[in-house]
Amino acid sequence: MPTASITLRDVGRTFGATQALTGVGLDLKPGITGLLGPNGAGKTTLLRLLATALPPTQGQLSVLGLDPEVPAERTSIRRQLGYLPQEVGFPRGFTAFAFVDYIALLKEWTQPAARHSEVRRVLGLVGLSDLGSKRIRAMSGGQRRRVALAQALLGSPAVLILDEPTTGVDPEQRVTLRTVLAEIARTSVVVLSTHQTEDVAALCERVIVLDRGRVRYDGPVTDLVHQAAGRVWLADEPDPEASVSWRTGTGRYRNVGPRVRDGAEQVEPSLEDAYLLLRGGSPDHEPREEVAS
Amino acid sequence: MTGWHLGDDILRRYVERTDSLAEGASVEQHLLSCEPCRARVSTAAVGVIDFAAVWDRTRDAVEVPRPSVFERLLRAAGLPAHEARLVAVASAFRSAWLIGVITIFAFAALAAGMGQARGMWLFLAVAPVVPCLVVASSYDPWLDPALEPELVTPYPALRLILLRTIAVLAIALPAVVLFGLIVPDKAPFAFLLPAVGFVAVVLAASTWVSPLRAAVVISSVWLAVVWLLATRSGPPGELLQAWAQAGFTLLAVASFVIFLVRRRWLRQVRPWR
Repeated sequence: MPTASITLRDVGRTFGATQALTGVGLDLKPGITGLLGPNGAGKTTLLRLLATALPPTQGQLSVLGLDPEVPAERTSIRRQLGYLPQEVGFPRGFTAFAFVDYIALLKEWTQPAARHSEVRRVLGLVGLSDLGSKRIRAMSGGQRRRVALAQALLGSPAVLILDEPTTGVDPEQRVTLRTVLAEIARTSVVVLSTHQTEDVAALCERVIVLDRGRVRYDGPVTDLVHQAAGRVWLADEPDPEASVSWRTGTGRYRNVGPRVRDGAEQVEPSLEDAYLLLRGGSPDHEPREEVAS
Repeated sequence: MTGWHLGDDILRRYVERTDSLAEGASVEQHLLSCEPCRARVSTAAVGVIDFAAVWDRTRDAVEVPRPSVFERLLRAAGLPAHEARLVAVASAFRSAWLIGVITIFAFAALAAGMGQARGMWLFLAVAPVVPCLVVASSYDPWLDPALEPELVTPYPALRLILLRTIAVLAIALPAVVLFGLIVPDKAPFAFLLPAVGFVAVVLAASTWVSPLRAAVVISSVWLAVVWLLATRSGPPGELLQAWAQAGFTLLAVASFVIFLVRRRWLRQVRPWR
């Protein structure tokens, strides 16, 4: 079986006069790749390109060796694709089972017995086995998010694109979902965008940091964390030398910056520290408006 | 407890359901009070009953949504079950077509009450625009909350749109003709070609703008035309003329050709271009 892959060469996307993505070049292989970046960095746009929901305006994109610009090849890609958009609306009155069943029909699961069995399997994966007959409107935000995730998992896709999959999901379920995604990523390309750095740290071997439509970092999570070694320290007051500092639960201040003050208490950096350090933590890195598409 | 237990033969017949009514009732009576025999039932059932299939059937009964009246109608009309489901689950069909038909019925009744000329004008104004509004709402991105996951499935958007369009026309038009029979003169049939023509225009226009916007514009233009004609003349004779009906036929054919030629620019798939 050929290895699943996605290739982007100098890919860009504009919306009118707004340049949402510029010169993105990536090679994505089986495994989980995390996408980090502030609001408006272009994460959702990149995921929509990978999910064939949107074409690039510059560069070349290849998914599973197929060209999404060609209608027949785009359909082939979609047969092997699972996509969880940032926001999923649900038709009024639908139960969890009915919604996933409906998407399964669109994914060409025409045999009722096989389809129903697959719908139950994916609802089971997201921990909703017993809630199939519950109306989505009566579900909590986290449960709705899991219903949306379940439809993306139909058919164990070779490419799984997830835009903030764990938003609103409780910690216990997040751990379960991490296990599910790790299993899928053994053979599939999984790309997920999140604001939860702990999800990336726990799940991803590779992380891409986007900022203002450009790739700021692309590499192993451990390397990014390593870049922050010796640049994180604790103090009783916010340190003016730090790029960013915040009060922790112990009452002390965690400081992240390019230079540690002499005699300061250094601590092990986390991925969040490394991410903040990469972004600079300065006011000119304030998030822009999310690019609408 | 009597110390007596079910024999293997009796138990097998019970599990296989080949026992008589009286024997079955007797066995069940015994099972109610005999724990060891109850345990033997499950053992005896292995290999006879496909528990997985029973469980699946039970879950199906609870979880699988029952087909709506509309879906059953589509199946009766010959549409395969899975496509009938795809058509019927569109938000629009859950209420819009019914509201549309009721609207026309109400206007037909009102028109009948208003008398010949004014009644016919009223009916002709409303009846042709309802099918095109229902068709537009059946695939308008704004009314489809699950559009993005739908968009990236392999099912062809064009096929889905045409299926939903045909379903609207197949259900709405005969119903409206029936209701229209209560309106005096030939008006019930006069609106048919305009209605088909407007639906085709909505399909064609939805390769430029959203279907609902197209339907609203077409409806507004039609209402303005009818109002102008109604204030200028008496009965709606002009719209019943052969040349006018031929014009609507031409409009329908031309619009449908445009739709087919420009189908890859459909509003739903428009982001990909």
